Amino acid sequence: MKPTWMLRVFAAIGYAVLMAPAALVLVLSFSAGEYLTFPPPGFSTRWYVALASNGVLMSALGTSAILASVVAAVALLAGGPAAYAIARLEFPGRGVLAALLAAPLLLPTLVLGLALLLVLQPLGLAATWPGLVLGHCLVAIPFAVRIMTTAFAAVPKELEAAAWTLGATPLRAALRITLPNAAPGAIAAGVLTFLVSFDETVISLFLVGPRLSTLPVEMFRYADQSADPLIAALAMSLIAFAFLMVLIVERLMGFSNAMGRN
Amino acid sequence: MIGWLLALPALCILGIAFLWPLAALFRISLNRTLDSGAMEVAVTGESYAKLLGDDFTWQLVWDTVTLAASASAMAVLLALPVALLVRAASPRWRGVLALMGIAPLLISGTARLVGWMAILGDQGLINVVLQGMGVIGEPLRMINNWTGVRIGLVESLMPYAVLVLLAGLGRLDGRLEEAAATLGANRVRTFFRVTLPLAAPALLAAWLLDVVLGISAFITPKLMGGGRVFVLATEIYDLALESVNWPAAAALAMLLLAGLLALLLLRGVFSWLPGRRA
Amino acid sequence: MTLAATDTAPHLRLDGLVRHYAGAPAPAVDRVSLGLPRGALLALLGPSGCGKTTTLRMIAGLETPDAGRILVGGRDVTALPPHKRHMGVVFQSYALFPHMTAAGNVAFGLEMQGMPRAERARRAEAALELVGLAALAARKPRQLSGGQQQRVALARALAIEPDLLLLDEPLSALDAKLREGVRDEIRALQQRLGTTTVFVTHDQVEALAMADLVAVMNAGRVEQLAAPEEIFERPATRFVATFVGRAARIRGVLEPGGVLRAEGGAALRAAGAALVGQVEAFLRPHRVRLLGAGEAAPAGIENLLEGTLARRVYTGEVVSLEAQTAAGPVTAEVHASAEGAWREMQPGAPLRLAFRANDLLVFPAQGAAA
Repeated sequence: MKPTWMLRVFAAIGYAVLMAPAALVLVLSFSAGEYLTFPPPGFSTRWYVALASNGVLMSALGTSAILASVVAAVALLAGGPAAYAIARLEFPGRGVLAALLAAPLLLPTLVLGLALLLVLQPLGLAATWPGLVLGHCLVAIPFAVRIMTTAFAAVPKELEAAAWTLGATPLRAALRITLPNAAPGAIAAGVLTFLVSFDETVISLFLVGPRLSTLPVEMFRYADQSADPLIAALAMSLIAFAFLMVLIVERLMGFSNAMGRN
Repeated sequence: MIGWLLALPALCILGIAFLWPLAALFRISLNRTLDSGAMEVAVTGESYAKLLGDDFTWQLVWDTVTLAASASAMAVLLALPVALLVRAASPRWRGVLALMGIAPLLISGTARLVGWMAILGDQGLINVVLQGMGVIGEPLRMINNWTGVRIGLVESLMPYAVLVLLAGLGRLDGRLEEAAATLGANRVRTFFRVTLPLAAPALLAAWLLDVVLGISAFITPKLMGGGRVFVLATEIYDLALESVNWPAAAALAMLLLAGLLALLLLRGVFSWLPGRRA
Repeated sequence: MTLAATDTAPHLRLDGLVRHYAGAPAPAVDRVSLGLPRGALLALLGPSGCGKTTTLRMIAGLETPDAGRILVGGRDVTALPPHKRHMGVVFQSYALFPHMTAAGNVAFGLEMQGMPRAERARRAEAALELVGLAALAARKPRQLSGGQQQRVALARALAIEPDLLLLDEPLSALDAKLREGVRDEIRALQQRLGTTTVFVTHDQVEALAMADLVAVMNAGRVEQLAAPEEIFERPATRFVATFVGRAARIRGVLEPGGVLRAEGGAALRAAGAALVGQVEAFLRPHRVRLLGAGEAAPAGIENLLEGTLARRVYTGEVVSLEAQTAAGPVTAEVHASAEGAWREMQPGAPLRLAFRANDLLVFPAQGAAA
């Protein structure tokens, strides 16, 4: 049925709530003023300039970019074969395996972060690269497995069967036939896991230290202490970045497909 | 067997990063905290006893649960028309509308809360507009308190509700509503007599998911509460990193997990209720 | 295709193949045994769910039989994985690799054999030439029409010069107009190359038109394995008689001496005296002759039935005349161009039908002790 005007109005309210923060961040990031006040006293790009010259945030950005790249790579390499197994193979305990690999997403990141801290701190691994990578993989791998499973499942099984009958071993068929056809999904999974790691805040809060900190953590701390347009400029940059990533994913495999919605 | 072999790398990483830490969390919750603040290895329920005997804990539980329940209800109410609109939209718009409905999932939580500060702050959008219209004299206090936390939470929970509702409503047969219309029911009656009862299981599922997520939300209470709002998540964080009382933090985390597990089981029970077969 | 005189052993032999899916009440394939000479084309014909595709997949190695053996050229391949069987398979969905060109698809099997690049490019081109698609070698599958995709799939399967060509409903995804042409092309190509072929179909016309041998399958079993004419004219079982071709059913009792007393009262001469008792007889419309008024039954035609016209169905080339007779409803087929009194006949008009005793295909009645 065609949506009624009433439905349109109520939906507009919902969308307004969803979109309002991003809209305000956009406006205030170009404020000429000192505080997050409305309306902005004037237009200026000064806070973007200040952001670019903020040493703490920029070094955290570097850390996060490297961290997210490493995590995305590890998640794909470790999660890809697992996803292939879940999507393609029939073996005892397949359901159990799928549930195991999804389990971390069921628990609050706060508890996961705390638990990791309790293990990594005594080992001297808190506030280290291995510790952070491990912590991020905890949420990135389940995510990668989920998206890659969808991507593998979308490649018809018959293709592999056809390759076998043409003399390809199962391994060669998987690498030469299924993998190339699942590639857009794999890239989408890489982009999304990058984003998951890049935005991860709570687990990181437990695992960072004075010498090694991530952008979301530094941003969280900055926002916790002061609210000036610098943080809006940073938030806006992140929103624009996320938007770009979503666009890439949408192009590659359809966003809702990637999220495994069905 | 080759399936488990292929999953071995992922399982190893999750074993180290998930199962082991969870086991350690439980183990440490049984340790003793000395008066000096140092931790002594032991097997004792002291931390649990102390937490459960403390009225503050029960206040935290009550505040956390009511916050999550009310924010989730609001989030589901706001998400329902969004999901219905997506469902009713032409295929051309459906993708964009759905994406807009869940896009906040991929935007950093802190970034969105900065936006809410700009909307709800003393000199934020709402106060400036209301003062400009002369509706209020003094600014409304909407951040650094429960109001701010609740509003921020509603927005951060909405995308999940939209997702669940889209999945749930997608299975509803639109022809039923058309049938009701041809039988002479007007739009409002159709909504309340046909759409809403059919959507009820999805609404319940969305609400329960949001409650689970809301109970463990941390960033929103921390940032929007301005240090004046205490919930279970902020308390666990403070115990672990401010007071460095690991046994207490671990014990409270275990209690939180137990509560969430109970809720998940409840959700499982609800999903078995008749009418959700689809 | 001439068969070498020494080549008496079948090229493909299935020996008691069984496939029982876990949880299924009955086996999908139940003790299927058959042999196929080198160079012949076998059609596995049956309704959906009869086990024909499962049988094909077991031959290809894509399903593992629970019991039985598969022999190709005398070699037991039952335990071989599909990539070691050297069989060309054309899937119902074609299963073309979307990320490769037509030529890439065709060359894939050769590449897996370790053939040098130049050689396999040449062979791939030759294979595409064979199916008349050399000009489209550089296209991706999605840039090809359904019929073209079908031919690429065929070229891909043939390029490896397989021991056995397996076709799983290869025509079902094509539209009706295209189907007949492609059918004849496949048959001509198969005969030219002499490739032993197994072909799965639910379409009896396809099976009868293409195959040297037809195996009619039902409920996991082979009901009859024979040449097309034999399947059609001398069905071995009641199922084959009803599944292949149309037939009127006449119920009755077969008496010693070859008299069939139909339930409607008619007494008919029938062959098959071994089946004395409750029987069902089937009579194909094209076997029934329509006699003109006063025309005597031609010599050698034993049975004459009188009845009234119930319905006429015009299907272009032939007209079916459905008559009510003392043997029940019986249909006669008349060529649409044939002259005769039938052209003016209205429902209710009397008519006379003649057929031979041998035209009655007699089987024990269903439910009667078999």
